[in-house]
Amino acid sequence: MTSFRLTVSPSRRVAGRFTLSVRRELLRALSVEHKKRGLSQADIAREIGVHRSVINRELRGHQDLTLGRVAELAYALGKQPCFTLQDQSAEAGCNVSEPRVFKHNPTSTRIEATTSAGTKL
Amino acid sequence: MATLLESLERGEIAKIDAQLAPREQELRCAYASPKLQKWLSGQLPNLGSTWKIDQTPMEQLDAYLAVYASGAILTFGHSFNPIRHVAGGVWELKTADLRVFGWFPKKDHFIGHAANLAQAIKDGNLYNGYAGEVAYFRDRLDLNDPKFIPGDNPNDVISAYRFP
Repeated sequence: MTSFRLTVSPSRRVAGRFTLSVRRELLRALSVEHKKRGLSQADIAREIGVHRSVINRELRGHQDLTLGRVAELAYALGKQPCFTLQDQSAEAGCNVSEPRVFKHNPTSTRIEATTSAGTKL
Repeated sequence: MATLLESLERGEIAKIDAQLAPREQELRCAYASPKLQKWLSGQLPNLGSTWKIDQTPMEQLDAYLAVYASGAILTFGHSFNPIRHVAGGVWELKTADLRVFGWFPKKDHFIGHAANLAQAIKDGNLYNGYAGEVAYFRDRLDLNDPKFIPGDNPNDVISAYRFP
């Protein structure tokens, strides 16, 4: 079976996926607020003093979002923006964790779990 | 007639590895015809954004495929449609700059055959041409019937399509 991969550098991959995740979170919040109180892109644009088309381009991904604009949009959506950094996963490069090997010790009632490298869990 | 797996084993299509993050599970699959594979590795890396945004079309597609494959909700509003039915069971996957044309042989399984910059497609009015090209390839691909999901409802081809 053949498989195909896009060749994107790891740093650019993180950048592209992070940018999309921020945009998606803004769209999710807009959808929720639209249902809750009828908030529209035009309302947001008025709140932060730009034309509605600017907001539309930014949310569609046709224009880059600055950090400042992300905060402004969050404010207009009634949200508090926050940003955290997490350690990169030790399992980078694969999308499954290291397999655990379960061994039964006949002299004990305990079942011991180890990683494939033999590290006890 | 062949199943998707048999078509993969025969090399008639290739599975696109979305390279998901650790602990993400692939819930939707994308495949590429030989023609699309050639375009993705030959043309796509050289394309810049028509919108002059930070992400290149290649990076946009990479991020799109990660969301698609992870099974996440695809759209949050009526004005942002990440997939669109073109004609005859042919769909386009949409990023800011890119359009990928293909079809869904079954729900959450997309086979792509052609792609181009959105601007070039709009300028040349190439939508029907690409739809015809995909249908031609689909007709000749030895795949079990039904070869594609008919209709233009995205919920028929994608699970968890729209935010409730």
